[in-house]
Amino acid sequence: MEAKFINCEQVREGLMDWLANEMPADEAQAVEAHLAQCPDCRREQAAVWQLWQAMGNLPVPEPSEQMRPRFYSMLAEFQAAEQRKQQWSVAALVQKLRDWWQPAYAMRLAYGLALLVVGLAAGYGLKARVDAPGAATQQPLAAVPAPAENAQQAQLLALLANPSAVQRLRAVSYAEEVAPTNERVVGALLSTLYQDPNVNVRLATLEVLAGLADDPTVRQGLVRALAQQDSPLVQSAMADVMVQLQERRSVRGLRKLLRQDNLNEQVKTKIEQSIQSLSHDRSAPADASTPSTYHENNDHTDSALDTSVAA
Amino acid sequence: MNSLTDNSLMLQVKAGQVDKMGLLFERYHRPLLAFFYHATSHATGSEDLVQTVFYRMLKYRHTFSGEGEFRTWMYHLARNVLADAAKKEKPAKYHQDVADWAEKIGGGPTADASLQKNQEVDLLHRALGQLSADAREVLVLSRFQELKYEQIATLLNTTAGAVKVRAHRALGQLKDIYMKMENGSKVH
Ligand SMILES: [Zn+2]
Repeated sequence: MEAKFINCEQVREGLMDWLANEMPADEAQAVEAHLAQCPDCRREQAAVWQLWQAMGNLPVPEPSEQMRPRFYSMLAEFQAAEQRKQQWSVAALVQKLRDWWQPAYAMRLAYGLALLVVGLAAGYGLKARVDAPGAATQQPLAAVPAPAENAQQAQLLALLANPSAVQRLRAVSYAEEVAPTNERVVGALLSTLYQDPNVNVRLATLEVLAGLADDPTVRQGLVRALAQQDSPLVQSAMADVMVQLQERRSVRGLRKLLRQDNLNEQVKTKIEQSIQSLSHDRSAPADASTPSTYHENNDHTDSALDTSVAA
Repeated sequence: MNSLTDNSLMLQVKAGQVDKMGLLFERYHRPLLAFFYHATSHATGSEDLVQTVFYRMLKYRHTFSGEGEFRTWMYHLARNVLADAAKKEKPAKYHQDVADWAEKIGGGPTADASLQKNQEVDLLHRALGQLSADAREVLVLSRFQELKYEQIATLLNTTAGAVKVRAHRALGQLKDIYMKMENGSKVH
């Protein structure tokens, strides 16, 4: 390659690139070549270079001893203030969750699950025949000691056990991303749905679990959770989910809910409608493949639940 | 994704892991301190301004999109902090502790050579202080913060070519001011 030749003007134009070391190698070579034979440019360049170097040598004060502690206490204060803010916004979150369960959400869920349910009904019959009555699927889910598969799941499990409801809510939304196919994670989510003291956490968990209802253990867990809910918000949300899933095994649990003394009127109506909807479809073709053994197993589970609820 | 890059850390802060700002503090409190010190010549005041930048990064973390570079966003906030401070403070207050500073590093049993050097340093620092804020800024960003012209251009909302022209002119002005001061002190 031919060496580049540049003039004084071009040297001046490239000065800043040259100083900041942002000049391509071949151009820098051309500059050197020009400087070697042009005293004017050489003098100019040297003066600027000296100034540039002197600037680089200008001292900067060392951070004082207080600087780091000051920053970290500001950070801690900021963090605490944020947490307080999040707790206050829980009320806003309830509203948001309420909105989720409005018809738009139900439509969305129905759309996604309609096809799934048809496929599941067949798959169910198959699985129930293979499983002996009282098989592992009937055990309390949280008791299955499968290890977490990865760090994400481990983090999720830890967050779900966090005493702060905000943290648990975060865990539940995190669960959607992690796609918790791991038994232990599913178990932890179900136990959150059963017993988390916070309604928002239970609602959020329900939403995630509804999305995982193609897993038979999740479905069964949802049915079981039904009778344990005392919050009208969760009760009505669960009734919706059962209808969307066309989960007929839930009828028993729904009937039991109807017998609750302090049942909210709106919820009562909703549950009655749900039962009707689920019973109405009893003669649908998909039902034909559901074997009776499955129902028996399920009844057994439900009655076991009865005692625990009554106790 | 490397979770330790500036951008990734800041996105984690944005997502609620506020404590991740600690690592960014460790990376950038010195460069920011230099940025404010060169702009104001005010050592203790500069620490306050650095603190303000980190506070604003926390407060306005939602404005970090992650598309641009973290450093550009950080210096954008730093420039605003500087502009706000300049509005509040009397300009005369800036550069007032240059003398203190020069005294501090010049004090004690210093050899003549380093005393001579310190006088040069002091002179250059004062010359820098006499540049217009715009001219000084472009030099500070390119020389002290080692931002590329392209990055400075993004920050100043202009082109790399325009930044180079501005920096070149600023450097010429600095040289003139420095020479004048040097001659003045010699005559004196
Ligand atoms: Zn020349």
